[in-house]
Amino acid sequence: MKPAPFEYAAPPTLDEALAILSENDPDEVKILAGGQSLMPLLNMRLARPELLLDLTRIDELGGVRALDSAVSIGALATKRDVEDSSLVRDRNPLFMESTVMIGHPQIRNRGTVGGSMVQADPAAEYPAVAVALGAELVARGPGGERVIEADDFFITYLTTSLEPGEILTEVRVPDLPAGTGWSIQEVARRHGDFAIVGAVAMLRLESGVCVDPRIVIFGASDRARRHPEAEALLAGERPSAALFESAGQAVAQSLEDPTDDVHASADYRRDLARVLCARTLSEAMERAEGSGA
Amino acid sequence: MAVDIPKSFEALPTSSPRHIGRGRRRVEDPALLTGRTQFVDDVELPRMLHCAILRSPFAHAKITEVDTREAESLPGVVAIVTGDDALRWSHPAQSSPEGWGTHCLATDAVRYVGEPVAAVAAVNRYVAEDAIELITVEYDPLDAVTDPVAAMAPDSTLVHAGQGTNVMMDRVFTWGEVDQAFEAADHVVSEKFRWNRMGANPTETFGCICEWDPLDLSLTIRGSIQSPSMFGLGRAATFALPSNKVNIISQPHGGSFGGKGGTRGTDVTCLLSRKADGRPVKWIEDRIEYLTAGGSQAWDRHYQASISVRQDGTVTGLRVGLIDDLGATGEAYGAICAAKPLAAFTGPYTIPVAEYDLKLVATNKVPSGPYRGMGPPPHFFVLEQLMDLAARRLGMDPAEFRRKNFIPNEAFPYTIPSGNEYDSGNYEEVLNQALALADYPALRSAQAEARQEGRLVGIGVASAIEPGVFDWNAYAIVGMPGTGVPEGATVSIDIMGFITVRVGFSLEGQGQYTLISQLVSDYFGTDPEMVRVVYLDTQSAPPSFGPGGSRLGVAITGAVLGACDRIRTKACRVVAALMQTEPENIVLHDGLFGIPGVPEAQMSVSDVAGTMLARSDLLPPDVDPRPEATHVWTAPGRTPADEEGRAKSYLTAAQAVHVVQVEIDRETGFVEIQRYCLADDCGTRLNPATVEGQTDGSVAQGIGAALLEEYSFDEDGQPQTTTFMDYLMPTVYEIPKVEKVAVVTPSPFTPLGAKGCGEGAIHTTPAAVLCAINDALAPIGQMAREVPAAPKRLWELIRAAGDTPEDGLI
Repeated sequence: MKPAPFEYAAPPTLDEALAILSENDPDEVKILAGGQSLMPLLNMRLARPELLLDLTRIDELGGVRALDSAVSIGALATKRDVEDSSLVRDRNPLFMESTVMIGHPQIRNRGTVGGSMVQADPAAEYPAVAVALGAELVARGPGGERVIEADDFFITYLTTSLEPGEILTEVRVPDLPAGTGWSIQEVARRHGDFAIVGAVAMLRLESGVCVDPRIVIFGASDRARRHPEAEALLAGERPSAALFESAGQAVAQSLEDPTDDVHASADYRRDLARVLCARTLSEAMERAEGSGA
Repeated sequence: MAVDIPKSFEALPTSSPRHIGRGRRRVEDPALLTGRTQFVDDVELPRMLHCAILRSPFAHAKITEVDTREAESLPGVVAIVTGDDALRWSHPAQSSPEGWGTHCLATDAVRYVGEPVAAVAAVNRYVAEDAIELITVEYDPLDAVTDPVAAMAPDSTLVHAGQGTNVMMDRVFTWGEVDQAFEAADHVVSEKFRWNRMGANPTETFGCICEWDPLDLSLTIRGSIQSPSMFGLGRAATFALPSNKVNIISQPHGGSFGGKGGTRGTDVTCLLSRKADGRPVKWIEDRIEYLTAGGSQAWDRHYQASISVRQDGTVTGLRVGLIDDLGATGEAYGAICAAKPLAAFTGPYTIPVAEYDLKLVATNKVPSGPYRGMGPPPHFFVLEQLMDLAARRLGMDPAEFRRKNFIPNEAFPYTIPSGNEYDSGNYEEVLNQALALADYPALRSAQAEARQEGRLVGIGVASAIEPGVFDWNAYAIVGMPGTGVPEGATVSIDIMGFITVRVGFSLEGQGQYTLISQLVSDYFGTDPEMVRVVYLDTQSAPPSFGPGGSRLGVAITGAVLGACDRIRTKACRVVAALMQTEPENIVLHDGLFGIPGVPEAQMSVSDVAGTMLARSDLLPPDVDPRPEATHVWTAPGRTPADEEGRAKSYLTAAQAVHVVQVEIDRETGFVEIQRYCLADDCGTRLNPATVEGQTDGSVAQGIGAALLEEYSFDEDGQPQTTTFMDYLMPTVYEIPKVEKVAVVTPSPFTPLGAKGCGEGAIHTTPAAVLCAINDALAPIGQMAREVPAAPKRLWELIRAAGDTPEDGLI
């Protein structure tokens, strides 16, 4: 459990980091942020970069800032920074809830928001809420800055649409629209484990019917995905347990190629997706009703 | 000289004990909490090298070539060993059953994933790990056999071609007229059960530093070694050395729970030190090594078991068929775990006859090792599920069914069919206390309401025995020779009256150094702070086994009190001479030696010790002038095993009843433990805080066993659980608050009446949790037969019951 030899660079600015990246073969460089996934991979020699590019001295990549209708979170902000942010708590309780569901305090103290997004673990909470909320991911590269919609950012297992030579700098999380009921729930073997399956639900109630329903399932397959068939069933309908159950069934049917591993079979995951879809919709509805909207 | 060891607190030479029997703060903790305890990885020796081990990626393959040339040329590499070195300098490991051991490095074939093939000693671990990547091994893969049932087939692939079979042992033990009992029974309850491989995961893995002396031809081994004397004998056998040429220094180590066998890694490291001309070599097993090929994958079992029952609820017979998958060799105590149930085969019940059909089978998995409890926890899981099935069939409450079959108080000492003798007990009182703590009637009525709502709520009531103070004779059936396990202590009082106790075991976490200070300070009327405990290596220590088999608290109490008594006898002669009276007239009480009732004829312990050490001219000529004595305690009255394995083996029998309430989420299969209550009786509690700590930890491990922990393999023998992402230990979030009550029935056979309590609750917890789960599943006609009761398994059971939400009520 000792890493293979590598070179190490820890530049103080993003420009220097980008320069170092451009001077090296990007396939031979690994970027270190909080290290919660990369360090074990290095120690197990599953990752064997020639160069480890440590971003943690770049102050400009940290911090949580208010935008007009979104919160900008620096890629190197830790989950703990988010947890402690009254801005996020006020503007986006869903993002806050997803933060405290991640791992354990020790992991949140070091793990970064950008690191979770770039790692693109299919069972991670942040990619799921990013997709549900329609977050924007901002990257800098040789060609300048690029803004990527969350749904276009996450490709498949541990794979994003970041180009070689690009560094994620910022995540822009839109504020939760007024009156939106939300829920994030997951089934994990233990508290703090990656989810076997998780679900995020959002909806508003207008004139007693569901408006702008969003359902994201994570942990069940290669990446967090919205489920438009199920969302279509809900839109414009009066919420009910039966409606949520049929949405759950639609999710289960549309789930492509569920993961099969030691903790859960594909069939079990499919069924859990159904259950969690219905449960999160139910909780989201309660919150929407409670919001008085 | 007769040695008088007090059998109760009242028999101590003090008006009222101030320390023993109380929850004293542990003397071990300040060093642990400030990071000053020297674990093996903290030890640095001059010129020390670091070992990395190249391990097999195949579960079964022939080795056709090992090429180390490129690795040898890497700067910083000092020595490389392969199977050739193992053949030249060592013997195959001792094994149980005999003859199923292999060399520490594969010589011709590999038989499990992670089996050591070669090893490197280098200037640091980084270089060592770089070097093992440069070793090329050519393998010729063979079919792997991972299922013990398939492995027993005549045409199965053989793990060891030379053995001609994969069956290490196949024997039926019959204790009494079992066939008659089953023929005469009104009911026979029979079931299959599966206990999956799991085991200990201490925070610290195994580690060692091995040093070969090329002139003296001797070995010095430091390590996180639980049983140093036995470990030393094993190394002497492996390296064909005289036993006085192997010195073991056991560093303080973090837990063990049986998981730090470490013999194979130690032998590899010894070979490296020898090849490196005697430079010390350190090997710290990393977590992936531990989870892939470490020393504690335990209890990989397939059961077929039954009980015979009369209509009135009397259990009349027990049959247990066990196919135990020991993995690739018999080097790691897996077989002992299959033998230990003999010490408590019929649990807390009066079941008069029993049968054990035991098959030990080799497969291409890591050799199976020991774990806390050493084998009975799965046995009790099986027995307790059968008890619940029988109670359900008879329409009896499970608590009352157990009450009816408990061994009654007046029957102790009680000999069970498999030969062991239970010392004492008050099982009905333990049951009553547990039921009262849980408010059992209220739990049942709440359950009835929950069932009305269609919820899967279950209550488990389970009882088990914890055999305490192990003896080798318990394992005679799997080829362990001998009877008797000694523990010694040397107590010395210095010229200032400070007391030093020298022992042969190091810190492992159970608080025995604290216990020693409690004992000595009450015996001699001093403060615990005046007592220092010093660890000695195996070449210096009095005879010692160390912790294991729930023995050390009882054994060290006997050793220390015996040594104190020997000093008392000696000091009484000295004081009698000084006071010109007979030794019989001198009494030790509350720290004073003297003539009772004569205040001017009293000497303090330190005055007596000072006189002995400074004024030998005043002493009777035949008195040893040192205020020091060694006593070696061994459990009395142990008997060799007979043909059917029967022996008086474990000296004590602690008992417990656990009451657990669970709810299963009928959609996800997840289990929530809503209530956990237990009553236990481990005799006199020498340090109640320590006992509670053992209980809490053991419940946690039992819950891990019941719900989470499992080493799994694919059909090619590839391990699927090699990190803590997949091998799931319970955390503080998964463990409920445990409500506890103590019943104290002293042992008539032990020092101060204490019983072994170190392994504790894990004997009962998995049984109790599964009883609760199966009580929850009973209304939908399902039963969990496999441990751990992982959500995927319970979800399958619930689905098989047709229990989908559309069905509505149960």
